[in-house]
Amino acid sequence: MTTKRGLITDSFKVVKKSRRGAKQRKSPTPPPSQPEDVAPSAREEDLQQLKQFDLDWRFGPCTGISRLQRWERAKLHGLNPAEEIRELLLQTQLSLWLSYTVSLSLL
Amino acid sequence: MFSDLSAQREGSSLLCRPASEDQGPVFERTTIDYSPCTERYRLGERSFSRQYAHIYAARLMEMRPLLSERAKHKWGSDVLIKKLCDLETGEQCCIVGTLFKRMDLQPSILKEISEEHNLLPQPARTKYITEADELILEDELQRIKLEGKIDRDKCVTGSVIVIYGAEKNDGKFTVEDFCMADLPLQTPRPELGSDKFVLLASGLGLGSSKADSMLGLQLLVDMVTGQLGDTGEQSGAATISRVLLAGNLLSQSTQDKDASTKPKYLTKKTQAGSVEAMRLLDELLLQLVASVPVDVMPGECDPTNYTLPQQPLHKCMFPLSSAYPTLQLVSNPYSANIDGVRFLGTSGQNVCDIRRYSSMESHLEILEETLRLRHLAPTAPDTLGCYPFYQRDPFILEDCPHVYFSGNAPVFGSKLVKGWCAEFLRCLIICLILFYRFPASDRLFYFFYPYRHL
Repeated sequence: MTTKRGLITDSFKVVKKSRRGAKQRKSPTPPPSQPEDVAPSAREEDLQQLKQFDLDWRFGPCTGISRLQRWERAKLHGLNPAEEIRELLLQTQLSLWLSYTVSLSLL
Repeated sequence: MFSDLSAQREGSSLLCRPASEDQGPVFERTTIDYSPCTERYRLGERSFSRQYAHIYAARLMEMRPLLSERAKHKWGSDVLIKKLCDLETGEQCCIVGTLFKRMDLQPSILKEISEEHNLLPQPARTKYITEADELILEDELQRIKLEGKIDRDKCVTGSVIVIYGAEKNDGKFTVEDFCMADLPLQTPRPELGSDKFVLLASGLGLGSSKADSMLGLQLLVDMVTGQLGDTGEQSGAATISRVLLAGNLLSQSTQDKDASTKPKYLTKKTQAGSVEAMRLLDELLLQLVASVPVDVMPGECDPTNYTLPQQPLHKCMFPLSSAYPTLQLVSNPYSANIDGVRFLGTSGQNVCDIRRYSSMESHLEILEETLRLRHLAPTAPDTLGCYPFYQRDPFILEDCPHVYFSGNAPVFGSKLVKGWCAEFLRCLIICLILFYRFPASDRLFYFFYPYRHL
């Protein structure tokens, strides 16, 4: 029987109950997240900007080509894409490359 | 041309005793400047992982400003050019978009492999149009059905046009008028001092089962290299400065499909038909390139890739003739600047494909239509195989050629076409016939047009 809404698991009764005295499995405590709060939100913002660029219908389809290629195409046809997107894309490329070289040097 | 030249002389030098002291007059072939435009149709690394939506988007992006300008010129500069999403019912406006023709008979692989329909593969037809076809205009976001003063049977999918009219209450757009991008601007051609000729030929059809096709070809080669006729005709042949072979150098019969479907043990010792045909072609070209520069374009039946733009035939297939620098192996839509005159043409696949999906019959008419649409192959990639370009559509004509040709047509035709914006914008369009179809006697009187008179 399929349910119209809710999870499919709601249609089945719970048959197993957790045993008393069973070993409590504790998940490891998450590390303190304060210093990371600032960095992801800036990155998230950048990601949001890039997503908005992807969904912008004026520049054509976004799948199958890289964002930089799509930006170059928009520039070629005179559609005036925002310059900061390009800078963002080049920065992201650069930072990926840097992290790659750093990890190589640690080997 | 040649019969006029030889008739001028009173006595034919062929009937006289050969002069033993000297060799006779030596004719120098006229040399011309030549620069090919190779980069446009050459593919570098090929990636087929993209969808074809990119090529349509690039096409629309590139043609939109051109069509907006045409619309303003035709219907007044205050005409509204709107997008489909901003369209209001009853409002007179222009819309720029790509045409799509929904045809019931269009071969669809999904219908063929669908089990519920249980259909046998559709037999090949000459025309796939019916009365029930519908025209739809698409822009970046939406599409709308069209009706009104637009000839549905003439239009093909993939043409970018601008329409003028209004949307009626039933959701269809009633077209009052439409227009295409028309001929692009042309760089002026330099004035030429004397008559110079370029020989355009197509459909040599080597490797066919009929044995007599070699006689005509050999006659042609002998005439071009000046070994045929008396001094009048030889001097005439010396004015042929270039030979352009536009596709279908091999015959259709070299492409037999039986060899690919038969099991390996039956076909182990047999060679593909195209191997022998390429050897014949190489020997023929050897005679030609020793005397005149030749451009070789691949066609539908030639051993190169199937999708447009077809890449040049590889020079390893021409061991004898590729030693000469006069042999130029070029791509299928081919563009070159010969002595200041711009030549642009294809081997005819684009024209044949449009012919199948529209009511137009004559290749010349279709060729003119592609020129007016400003696009070499509007049906690519819908029904004509094409590489998935993403950045730009290389089939859009950027500047108007002086000579626009297409090969492998059933009948020969030529026409002088004039552009809309300037008096001097003229283009000569030519449909080349299949060489092997015609008997040897007719083939010598080929198309020689002194392009000084353009």
